[in-house]
Amino acid sequence: MQAWYHCENVYPFVPQEVLDRADSVRASLPNKHCDPKIAADLFQECLDEHLLCDDLGVNVVSIEHHSGINSLYGASPMILGILARQTKKVRILSLGTLITVRPDPVRVAEEYATADVISRGRLEIGFVKSGDSEMVSGNANPVGYVERFWEAIDLIQKTLTSHDGPFSWEGKHYTHRHVNIWPPVYQRPHPPMWAATGDPETSAELGRRGMVNALVLRGPEASKRAFDTYRDARREAGLPAPGTDRFAYAALCYVGDTDEQGLRIGGKTLWFLNTSLKQSPQMSKFLPGRMPPEVTAQNYRTQPQPGAQAMRRPADSLIGITAEQAIARGILCAGNPDTVYKQIMEIYDKVGGFGHFIFIGRSGFLDHQEAEKGIRLLAKEVLPRLPAATPTFPAEPARAAE
Amino acid sequence: MAEEARLTAGGIELEAVRRGSGRPILVLHGFQTIDPQARFVDLLARHGEVIAPSGPGFGHSPRPKDFYTVYDLVRLYLEVLENLPGEKATLLGFSFGGWLAAEVAVAFSHRIDRLVLVDPLGIKVSDRETADILDIFNRSPDEVRRRSWHDPDRFAPDFNAMSDEALVVYARNREALCLYAWHPYMYNPQLPRWLTRIKAPTLVLWGESDRVVTPDYGRAYARLIPGSRLELIEGAGHHPEIEQPEAFVERVSRFLEE
Repeated sequence: MQAWYHCENVYPFVPQEVLDRADSVRASLPNKHCDPKIAADLFQECLDEHLLCDDLGVNVVSIEHHSGINSLYGASPMILGILARQTKKVRILSLGTLITVRPDPVRVAEEYATADVISRGRLEIGFVKSGDSEMVSGNANPVGYVERFWEAIDLIQKTLTSHDGPFSWEGKHYTHRHVNIWPPVYQRPHPPMWAATGDPETSAELGRRGMVNALVLRGPEASKRAFDTYRDARREAGLPAPGTDRFAYAALCYVGDTDEQGLRIGGKTLWFLNTSLKQSPQMSKFLPGRMPPEVTAQNYRTQPQPGAQAMRRPADSLIGITAEQAIARGILCAGNPDTVYKQIMEIYDKVGGFGHFIFIGRSGFLDHQEAEKGIRLLAKEVLPRLPAATPTFPAEPARAAE
Repeated sequence: MAEEARLTAGGIELEAVRRGSGRPILVLHGFQTIDPQARFVDLLARHGEVIAPSGPGFGHSPRPKDFYTVYDLVRLYLEVLENLPGEKATLLGFSFGGWLAAEVAVAFSHRIDRLVLVDPLGIKVSDRETADILDIFNRSPDEVRRRSWHDPDRFAPDFNAMSDEALVVYARNREALCLYAWHPYMYNPQLPRWLTRIKAPTLVLWGESDRVVTPDYGRAYARLIPGSRLELIEGAGHHPEIEQPEAFVERVSRFLEE
């Protein structure tokens, strides 16, 4: 199994009373609350953690979130550029540039190709749909973002795989008349592609495309549903069954010397759920486009009618959970190496296997030294015991008509 | 008297409120579709035939996948206007629909005998760092409510009292509005330079307490339309037809009879 270190480079140092007063800790919290000197230290620390991963054989993830305490990685390509040069061995996953808020997918492809070349072919490209406050801070229309998501992926893929001179793209959402990026990608036909999603339509399409389906903080039940949908879609399309290398499971995770230490330090990562998810209603439940009106209508009621189900974002149900609840729900793995191994394998068995374990090993007030200790223990004591990924075989070429 | 009816334009069957008889008054709705129970509909129908379609994606009107721009809406309403009986019709637009009415009037002035714009959006008047139009998607619901109504406690929608169906329509209207008008937000940068093409007598009505778009914006709007005049309605915010239906219809009817 491949392990992937995922750190969002959060900024937890805003006074609690400021956070309590703010209607949102994303998009609208004034940046005067972020001290750039502290931010600089955090960047150095987090990048050093990625370099430690490189030494230990743990792959690294570069993410992108905008304008909030939940992440200072506002520009994934810049982080990718640093990781591509400074790491030497491990694979680097972008998860990912927010393509639904970027106006030009060709530029995104160009950035990805550059990172792939600098790293000599160690890049993996992950796509996320984004949503909510990022549509606001990204000035992007939240209505129709799923259509943009797929068109952007198609255009990026075409850009990365075209090598014979300019082509033209005149799609519904993107037009670019002269596409011919330099440098081209290092890996051919293109770096492996991933997407983080839990909704069945997207998982099915990922299955048909053979992309890696990552589930982030969704727990085993939702992950199993997504992976099953993925498998079914491939079967229905007449494609070979996927190996576990097509599935990625992401959880908060901390390995300590003892269960007590693992739980105490790992529990600090719950800050991500309890503090950094707060978004104003206009940037979440009232923002059009995320869910159909038939579902969102109930959100307007302050006194829900009996039996009516208001739409909840998957993240909403995570706010306020304890470490024990988070472990029970497969959102957090924490304890000594044996315990964490068992927790991961329990999830592994519940979902039917996965080839990639993405561990969010630092968040909230969990500090740099603690993070590095957790990474070391996971790499040395847990990762070697996890089962190897099984491969997905390519579809056989269509036979000529007999 | 005709009640809720359907109306076909652009190959799309639109939900419509139709009431009254006489001179056709084509009404283009704002953020929300026209409530057939609204008092102003009956009052206005004493002065002509009110024809108020719900735009594609709004209310119960379907929206084809390839229909998603303000340009599509303007073309659609040109066709609605073209299909009305008689040489000319009165065109009345509220808020977002006021923007559409202004666009239709610019394109099709010869088919319009009178134009009424009620707290219309659609133009940019202030400098680049001053937003003229309240961002109803990005600002808090409380602020939007406060700035939309003169008397929000009395007139703002009571979501707890609304039926499921009405709530779905409300959410659907917001989604459609967001699709069409997210960027640039609720205006066409090129519209001001073309407003001089409007030849029909034009009344610009404004809720005096409107803080979605202020009366100053209305004054700027009226200055751009030759021969138009601005009138304020007291005790009303962005929706004078809801908060002051009598005063609203009285102003409109007086204008129509001039």
